[in-house]
Amino acid sequence: MRETGQFGRTTLPPEQQRAIRGAVRWEIFTIVYTSITITVIALVVGESQAMRTAWIEDMLSLIPQFAFLTALLFVRRRPTRKHPYGLHRAMGIGHLVAGVALLAVGLNLAFEAVLGLLSGEHPTIGTVQLFGQTIWLGWLMVTVMAVVIIGPVFFYGPAKSKLAPVLHNKLLYADADMAKADWQTTVASIVGVLGVGVGVWWLDGAAALFISLGIIGDGFRNTRAAIVDLMDQRARTYDSKHPHPLAADIVRYLRSRPWVAQAAVRMRDQGQVFHVEAFVLPHRRTVSIADLTAAAEGVADLDWKMQDVVVIPVEHLPEEADTGR
Amino acid sequence: MGTSPDGDLVDVDGGDLSGPVVDLVDGFAARVHADTRWTVASEETLVTMLEAGDLDLVAGGITADTPWIDKAGVTRGYRGIDGADGREIVMLVPLGENAFLSALERFLDEEVGG
Repeated sequence: MRETGQFGRTTLPPEQQRAIRGAVRWEIFTIVYTSITITVIALVVGESQAMRTAWIEDMLSLIPQFAFLTALLFVRRRPTRKHPYGLHRAMGIGHLVAGVALLAVGLNLAFEAVLGLLSGEHPTIGTVQLFGQTIWLGWLMVTVMAVVIIGPVFFYGPAKSKLAPVLHNKLLYADADMAKADWQTTVASIVGVLGVGVGVWWLDGAAALFISLGIIGDGFRNTRAAIVDLMDQRARTYDSKHPHPLAADIVRYLRSRPWVAQAAVRMRDQGQVFHVEAFVLPHRRTVSIADLTAAAEGVADLDWKMQDVVVIPVEHLPEEADTGR
Repeated sequence: MGTSPDGDLVDVDGGDLSGPVVDLVDGFAARVHADTRWTVASEETLVTMLEAGDLDLVAGGITADTPWIDKAGVTRGYRGIDGADGREIVMLVPLGENAFLSALERFLDEEVGG
């Protein structure tokens, strides 16, 4: 039992180690970038509800980075007797916290936007003095929003969405997904502000509502994805779209052992790595420990995500287990 | 226009209004080719009239700390008005009157600085 001797081994292959370092760098870059944009937007936010909503969304977008970096501190810890499965779930909990925060604030902002629209709140945007010139604050808002969008859409959004599949990290994936969708917020807030400028007062509230609906959508998707993983749904791909193909790979590998007649797996996503219980139905009534150990090691060697593998000989395959067919 | 008496800023003597704020507003009205008709009342009454569309502008001893921020569009604060005694004086316009507010702020920038 070389590799499976220790449950939930936490060392990563070189490619994943590089990806983790890259992800940490991008997360820190994002935090710095977003902190700057939050400050800049604060200077021009004014009376526009759309701008206020976009501003709060910017603050919210910090949660996934902090959740990721905090969770990373935990998932690296080795399993102990107190935490025999390791602390991989920290990533899932971070995902859940980020999702719930988005959902709650999104609902609150949507409520505010609707209330503003119903009560006919006319946002008033005046002027500011900049370098001795009096200019309409709306132009500043539009400029700021157009400039701050560059980061998420062209830099860290695409960068993180490349790293997420390598690391099989759903939190990182969700984070990247939200960053890439940030242009919608920008366009909406610009439309809202320009609408106010030409006297269409409700465009501001409508834009705010549109942005907050986006936040609610993000929150809902993330909360659901995090919950189903924490509830031990069978492992799915990093984007939650398909059952993870590794389950079938494991079954195929086990069936290729000469002593195995049938095989099935129960595989759950611990956040970044999988916990695998493989059930095998042997041809004969006796199984050698050496064969079992070799099979467990073979499964662990299939992919770096499987460091917590047990192979169990059974008389009947459990019905719920995945036979890869 | 609406105003309330305030120290040196707005002086109400019978039907006659005078003071730096009154002069400023008259100057602005001349700039935008408008006539001024003044209403003297309490601030709350003035803001209610502003909301109802009976007034276009409320000016007087209102500062940047005004609680009417939800009920009216508020200009930037101006310290350079005579008699302001260091207070940041603002003026109120109806909500959503962006062009009017911008024109007023431009005028005040020119007359009494930022």
